[in-house]
Amino acid sequence: MLERLRQNYLAGFLSVTGGLLFWELVSRLLVANPLFLAAPSQIVQAIYALTLTGEMGRHLSISAIEFAIGYVIASVIGIGVGFGMASSVRFKQAMQPWISGLYATPTIALAPLFILWLGIGIWSKVLVVIFLVLFPVTINTEAGLRTTSERLIEMLRSFGASRSQIFFKVSLPSALPFILAGLKLGIGRGLIGVVVAELFGSRAGLGRLISQSADAFNMPELFAGVIVLAVAGIAMTAGFGWLEKRLVPWTKD
Amino acid sequence: MARKLEISGLGKWFGELEALRAIDVAVEQGEFISVVGPSGCGKTTFLRMVAGLEPSTSGTILMDGQPLAGPGGNRGFVFQNDSLLPWRTVLSNALIGPEVAGQVAAKERQRTHDLLQLVGLGGFESYYPRQLSGGMRQRVNLARALAIDPDVLLMDEPFASLDAQTREIMQTELLRIWEQGRKTVLFVTHQIDEAVFLSDRVLVFARRPGRLQESVEITLPRPRSLTVKRAPEFVAIVDHIWKMIEDDVRSAVLDEHA
Repeated sequence: MLERLRQNYLAGFLSVTGGLLFWELVSRLLVANPLFLAAPSQIVQAIYALTLTGEMGRHLSISAIEFAIGYVIASVIGIGVGFGMASSVRFKQAMQPWISGLYATPTIALAPLFILWLGIGIWSKVLVVIFLVLFPVTINTEAGLRTTSERLIEMLRSFGASRSQIFFKVSLPSALPFILAGLKLGIGRGLIGVVVAELFGSRAGLGRLISQSADAFNMPELFAGVIVLAVAGIAMTAGFGWLEKRLVPWTKD
Repeated sequence: MARKLEISGLGKWFGELEALRAIDVAVEQGEFISVVGPSGCGKTTFLRMVAGLEPSTSGTILMDGQPLAGPGGNRGFVFQNDSLLPWRTVLSNALIGPEVAGQVAAKERQRTHDLLQLVGLGGFESYYPRQLSGGMRQRVNLARALAIDPDVLLMDEPFASLDAQTREIMQTELLRIWEQGRKTVLFVTHQIDEAVFLSDRVLVFARRPGRLQESVEITLPRPRSLTVKRAPEFVAIVDHIWKMIEDDVRSAVLDEHA
C-alpha cells in the first residue's frame, strides 16, 4: 500500500515541493519585491489572515453561489436540449447553428454587456456561467444519445421493446458517460466564467478579491485568490472523477 | 408433429438489389434447422425477417398458423455479436427479455438463474460482461434468448467470433441444452460442418439472388458427440453441401476482393 503510494505519487510530490521551494527562493532572493511576486509562505499567511477576518469566506461564498446557480441551470437546460436534439431531427437542425456558433464564440467577452443588463450583483455572473457551461453539456448529451450502439438497440427491439423502453434501458445509460464528461468540462469553464465576470465588475467574489488586490499591489492576497480558485477547481474535478467511477464503472477498467 | 413455421414466397428487396427470392420453408415443432450459404446469400436477412427485425417485401411467415408482425416474445434471437449491455451484470443482462415484457417476478428470476446454470455460468451472475471471455459472453447471449421461454430460437452465427476449440465446445453445449427442451431452432452459420453436426435439416442458400437451393435431411442419430464429425457419413454430407455452394463461395470471395 505505502509502496504503491510511493510509486504513484512520489515523482509528483517531489516536483511540486521542488517547484514551491524554487518559487520561494526566487521571490525572496532574486525578485525580493512583494510588489511583483509573493512567496508561497506569504500566500499561505494571506489566506490564513483573510480567513480569520471572514473576508475569504465572504468572497468564496459569493463566487460559489454564482457558480452553483449557473451550473445547475446550464446542466438542466443543456441535458434537456441535448435530449431534444437527439430525438428530433428538425429540432437539431434548428438548434445546431446556434450551438456551434455560440460554442465557438468567446461568450465571456459578453460579460460587460450582461453586467449592463443585469447589474453588478450575482445574476450577471450566473448568466456568464450558464453561457459557458451550457454548450459542452448540450453537445455531449446529444452526441452520447446519438452514438448509442445500433446493435444494442436492435437487441432490445428483438424482445419487442417500446421506444421508451429502448430509451431508458439503452440510450440513456450509454449516453451517461458522455453527459458526465460534458458536465466535467463545464466545471473548468464555469469557474473561469465566474472569475472573469467578477473582474469586469462586482461587489464581492474571488474575482473581486483578485482585482482589488491587484489595484492595491497586494500580491499575497492576489495569489491567495488564485490559489483558492485552483484548489476549488481541482477538488471539484476530482470529486467528479469519483462520481464517474461510481455511476459509470463500465467505462473504465 | 405440428407445423411451427410456415414460410411461403418470402422475398426481400433492398432498393434495386434482390436479396431473397421466393423462399418456401415449413418447419416442424422441435426441429433444429440450419441455414448455410456463401456471404451475400441472404441467410441473415432471412433470419431477421423471421425475427420481425426486417420487414419482408413479399410472401408470408406464419407461426402456429398466425401471420407474424414485428418482433415478439415467442421468438428469442441470439446475436452474432453478444450485444450485452456493459452496465448490467450477467443476471441482469439475461433478465432483459422478461423485463421488457414487464415480468420480473421471483419466478422469472429463478428461471433465469437456472438457465445461467444450464449454460454453464452458475456463480457468474454478478459479473459484468467485460469480465467474461468471448465464449462466456455468448452463453449469456443464449441464456438471455431462452429466458423469455420462446417457442422458436433464432441464432445468427452465434459462434462465428469464437476460436475453433471454444466453438466446438459451444456446439456440443448447445445440443445438450437443446435436448432438454427441444425448442424449434433456426441456426444461421457459414460453417457447413457446424450446420450438419447440429441440425435435423440444413437449408442450403445460393446467392444472386438469395434463394433456397436445397434442403438436406441429416439423419445422423442423436444424441451426437463430436466424434460424429469423423464418421464417413458425416463427411459425405458436408462434402455434398460444399460441392453445391463451392462455385458460389468462390465468386463471393472474388466479389469481395474486387
